Amino acid sequence: MRRVVMVAAVAALAAWPAAAQVGNPATTAPSTPMPGTGESAAQVNAQDELFVRLATIGGMAEVEVAQMAAKRADSEQVKAFARHLAEHHGQANQRLAGLAKGLGLTPPTALDAEHKAMRDQLEGADDAAFERAYVRGQIAAHQKLATLLEWELGSGQNDGLKRFAADNLPVVLDHLEQARALATQLTGQMARNDGPPAERKAPPPRR
Amino acid sequence: MTVSLRKLSIATGIATVCGIGAFADPLPPDATYRPLPTQPLSTVRAADEAQKPEVMQRQRQVLEQRYDLTDRPMDGVMMSGGRKAVQGGVRVRLPQGTSWDSLTAMTPSEIRDKGLLPQGFLPLPHVKQATGGQVFPDVQIDQIRNQEARNLRRFDVDFDLHDRFTPEFPPPIFLTTHPELGDVSRGQLLTIRNYYEVMNGIITPVQMEGLRLLLTPFPQEEFNQTEDRKVPEQSLGVTCLDCHSNFHTNAAFHLTPDLRPQAVRFRLDTVSLRGLFNQQIHGSKRSLRSVEDFTEFEQRTAYFNGDHVSATRKGAHLPDRPNHVAMMAQMQNIVDFPPAPKLDPSGRLDPTKATEQELAGERVFLGKGRCAECHVPQTAFMDNNMHDLKLERFFEPGRSENGFVTIPDGPIKTFTLRGIKDSPPYLHDGRLLTLADTVEFFNLVLGLKLTAEEKQALVAYMLAL
Repeated sequence: MRRVVMVAAVAALAAWPAAAQVGNPATTAPSTPMPGTGESAAQVNAQDELFVRLATIGGMAEVEVAQMAAKRADSEQVKAFARHLAEHHGQANQRLAGLAKGLGLTPPTALDAEHKAMRDQLEGADDAAFERAYVRGQIAAHQKLATLLEWELGSGQNDGLKRFAADNLPVVLDHLEQARALATQLTGQMARNDGPPAERKAPPPRR
Repeated sequence: MTVSLRKLSIATGIATVCGIGAFADPLPPDATYRPLPTQPLSTVRAADEAQKPEVMQRQRQVLEQRYDLTDRPMDGVMMSGGRKAVQGGVRVRLPQGTSWDSLTAMTPSEIRDKGLLPQGFLPLPHVKQATGGQVFPDVQIDQIRNQEARNLRRFDVDFDLHDRFTPEFPPPIFLTTHPELGDVSRGQLLTIRNYYEVMNGIITPVQMEGLRLLLTPFPQEEFNQTEDRKVPEQSLGVTCLDCHSNFHTNAAFHLTPDLRPQAVRFRLDTVSLRGLFNQQIHGSKRSLRSVEDFTEFEQRTAYFNGDHVSATRKGAHLPDRPNHVAMMAQMQNIVDFPPAPKLDPSGRLDPTKATEQELAGERVFLGKGRCAECHVPQTAFMDNNMHDLKLERFFEPGRSENGFVTIPDGPIKTFTLRGIKDSPPYLHDGRLLTLADTVEFFNLVLGLKLTAEEKQALVAYMLAL
């Protein structure tokens, strides 16, 4: 059964242009088969499996707190940002779930302790502090997510997962820049970007 | 006989020459070297604790006489992490019957002869000059106690400045290697307990090991395991980043290592490590030529006492130059300034982003204000030189304040002005509390005769750096 799914996944992925770099077989799990290129649409290495787990949990947490922020934030800008994040991460989560299923992986369905604690802390924040806490949390969350995606691009083996990482990285960096700009606005500090999000064009849809 | 007489006279001559040193009773034996303690810790501690209220009261008086310490944040101006407002206004008090304009109309010798130099322009004393040593702000003490169960609170002195005049805490961290990430601190203070989790994935193994060492406590003059310490329990010591919190500064202070006797050692306000990659000389007085030299040497002298002898007694840490020191330096050298979106690549204001007042401030900075003669925009607002402002033109040296004897500062390293709103108090000893104070200070010292508008424009400009 697993082989059938994998074949189907290969067929689906074959149409995409090859973009991801070849992985380094020196650091893959000993049991990983080693094809000529060191990279395959169907094979997953230990890093790929860990990536699916961490990215799934991170994505779920993103959607949960974004939905919370879309309701609780004071400013329309933060609400809009949260809605945008909920939508993007929702779509990304679905795509990742599809990829995982195709590879025969079973991603987690609930948050881990760290993300639960983060969500609970935000939930418990009083209204006055909520908006800043959410935006600051998003800066850290997107820094981690960007690092995770970069790591998968360097260490993963599966082409579909690496393509997922490559597609999402610019979007995640854009979210990070938006979060930093919002933090600037909320706190009055200066940031590297040119202006508040209102003056910037809406982020282009990237899938 | 002739021969033996000559021999005798030579021998007498030698005895006389040698005798000058031995019989002249030169300066006291502890004028340079720190004496060994003669009392048990419990006795010293009891005496220190008994003196502490008066010690702190005297320092409060010093500060109140010098400065307006009220809470006057600038409207809408926050430090780079958005956690603390920047204080505004001139805080140095004027001598009675004077104004800033009347002072600048006088010659330096007139000001000196009439004793009219504002006290806040003079070097700022340590809380307890005779002991000196590192003093940490409460926020740092609390964080380190909570995260590491290590005690940085001294039994003889407390920190003296109000929180509103110190940098935000914990400060944000910007890396030259990851500009796209912004502040990577996650709002946390880096310690030996959390650094790996915070930095994993964004720094190299070499930088990580350097960071570990910068966060590892080593014995220090006031925090060690001998009876010559100022904390009740035997202490593991302090770390580099106990003062340079998150590679910035928490305004912890000390005495300069570079002077003796003790009474003339001036106060040192911890300098930020942001932008160290562009800095070619290190130490306000020593002009050490690399951060490697500085990093290695401060371990050798138990941090900033200029005393390798006492440091050795308390547990010397001698980091290995090609390994430990290089790694610590490589970590320090990737710490960036906070973003300054209005500056172009050569450090000049972008006229499409800056306000009219900021642009006016830049013109003063480059011209009439003479600031850019040392704070060169193109080289990160430094010139990698030391300069002597010759402040003693305005005062009589030898005056004592809270146990500290004011002598001329002499040449001091030019400090960067990038991100300057984040690092009050100002000057090497923290004697100026706001940027407006620095403008009045240099207006007088350099005889600039700036107008009120020009002064305000300079402050607005510095907030954009």
